[in-house]
Amino acid sequence: MDKLASLLHMTPAIFWMVAKVIIVFLGVFTLASVWTWVERRGSAMIQDRIGPNRAKLFGRWPILGLSQLLADGIKFFFKEDLVPTEANKGLFWLAPFLAFVPALIGFAVIPFGKSFVSGGQTYHLSLLDPGNGMGLLYPLAIGGMAVYGVLLAAWSSNNKWSILGGMRASAAMVSYEIGMSLAVVTIFMTTGGYDPAEVIKAQGHLPWAWNIIRQPLGFLVFFTCMFAETNRLPFDFAEGESEIVAGFNTEYGSMKFSLLALAEYSHLMTASALIATLYFGGWQVPFVENPTVLLSVAAFLGKMLFFAWVFVWIRWTLPRFRYDQLMHLGWKVMLPLSMANLVFHAWRMSQGH
Amino acid sequence: MGVVVKRVELSWLDRTYVWPVLKGMSITFGHFIRNLFTSTAKRYTVQYPDMKREMPPGYRGLHELKRFEDGAIKCVACFMCQEACPARCISIEAEEFSELNITQGFEEKRPAKFSIDMLRCIYCGMCEEACPKDAIWLRNDYEVASYDRLSMQYGKWDLMNTYAKADGKESLSQDPSPSVPRRTIAM
Repeated sequence: MDKLASLLHMTPAIFWMVAKVIIVFLGVFTLASVWTWVERRGSAMIQDRIGPNRAKLFGRWPILGLSQLLADGIKFFFKEDLVPTEANKGLFWLAPFLAFVPALIGFAVIPFGKSFVSGGQTYHLSLLDPGNGMGLLYPLAIGGMAVYGVLLAAWSSNNKWSILGGMRASAAMVSYEIGMSLAVVTIFMTTGGYDPAEVIKAQGHLPWAWNIIRQPLGFLVFFTCMFAETNRLPFDFAEGESEIVAGFNTEYGSMKFSLLALAEYSHLMTASALIATLYFGGWQVPFVENPTVLLSVAAFLGKMLFFAWVFVWIRWTLPRFRYDQLMHLGWKVMLPLSMANLVFHAWRMSQGH
Repeated sequence: MGVVVKRVELSWLDRTYVWPVLKGMSITFGHFIRNLFTSTAKRYTVQYPDMKREMPPGYRGLHELKRFEDGAIKCVACFMCQEACPARCISIEAEEFSELNITQGFEEKRPAKFSIDMLRCIYCGMCEEACPKDAIWLRNDYEVASYDRLSMQYGKWDLMNTYAKADGKESLSQDPSPSVPRRTIAM
C-alpha cells in the first residue's frame, strides 16, 4: 500500500483516505442502484409476478434482469432534461443534489470493518476516524439535512401536487426525528459515548449483548422512525399516485429524477448501516472474538444488506398510513415510547446496572 | 331501518400493530421464498412470445375453411355466413363447377372467391353457427396481426390454409377436381 501511495506521490494516510472515499461512495452508490433492481425483483416475487427479465446485455445475457438496470441508466442519461417554465430554475437544479449528497455522506462515520495495524500505522475502516468529536451525531444532523432536498424539489417545481407532497414528507421527517434521536440518546447513555467505534465495542461479539436485546423498545422506535426518515412505505408521504401524482418529483425527469430516486436508496443504505451499527453490533461477527478484517467487513455488509432487504420487504407488505395516523403515531406513540425507553434505562443505570 | 354495525374487537396483541405486521411479513416472505425456488417457466405468468397459452376448446380465433379428404372445399357458397355476419366482413362470390352434379353425389356450387376482412371481423362465431355444412370454423389461433391493411384481407386460399401447418396438411392453392362422391342421393 505504501508503494502504491508513493507511486501516486501521496503520503500513505492521504492515499488511504482517497481510496476509502472512492470505495465507500462508489460502493454505496452501486448498492443503491442495485437495490432498485432488488426492489423490483423482490416485489415481483412477493406478489407472484416475474419482474424485469427481458433486457439482455448485448442482446444475449439477461443476468436475472440486472441488465434492465443498465438499460434504465442509459435511458435516463439520454432523455430530454426538462425544466418547467415557471420553476425556480436554480433551486430546481440544486434540489436533486441536496437530496442525494446528505443521503450519501451520512455514511461517513460508520465503521464498516475492524481497524487494523500495518507498518506501524493504524488504519480505520470508516471515512472519518473514530474520535473525530462528531460521532453518531453527524449522521443524525445530516439526516436532518435530507429534508431540504425533498422540500426544495417540491417548492422549486412550482406545482401544487409537488408542494403538498414535499410539505407532508418534511413534516413527517421532522416529527419522527425527535423520537429517533431520543432512541439514539438512550444508546449514547448506556454506552457512555457517542462514537460509533465505542458503541460497537460496548456491544461486543455476543449477540445477546447487542443493543437489540438490551433495548428492544428503542430498536422498534428507531426502526419505525427510519422508515419515516427515508420516506418509504408505509410512510411514503412525499409521493402518492392516487392523491398527488408523483409528489415532490412530479416535475422531474431524466437524470434529475434518477438522482432523486437514487437518493432514496442511498438513504436506505445509510439507514440500514445505522441500524446495524447501533443495534446489531456493527462489524462484530457473532461468537467470534477477534475476527479478521475481511470477515468483519463481510459481517457488516451482511447485516446492512439484510436490513436494506427488510426495508423492501416491509414496503411490499404494509399498506400506507393516512397522514393523520402518521402524525398520531409519530407524536403520541413513538415519542412517548422512546421517552419511556430513555427514562427506563436511566433508572436502570442509576440502580447500578 | 337501521343496521347495527358489529364492531370488531381487536385483541391487545392486534392493537400493538407489531404482531399483525409480523404476521403479514411472514405471508409475504412465504410467497417470496416459494417464488425464489420456482423456475420462471412454472410461475403463473405466461411469458408471451416464449410461452404460449393453450386455448380452451371452443375458443374463437382465426377462421378456417374446411376441406374434404381430397382437398375439395366443403363450402357450397350458400351465403348463410355472409348474411349472419354482424360485422359484414365476409364476402363471397359463387361459381358452378364441372359437369359433376347433385345427381352424382356432388355439390354444384362452390365459392370462387371467399374473403374475410379480419380488420372488421369481431370473432363472434356467428358464421360458424350459421354454416349448414360445417365448412367454416373459428379455431385457436389468436395471433392475427399484420404490418399493413391489405394483408388483413384473407382470401379463399388463405382461409383454407390457416391451420394447414398446425394440422400437418399440405397448403392448397387450387381446387382439386373432386372424384369421390360426398353423399348418395336416392333419386
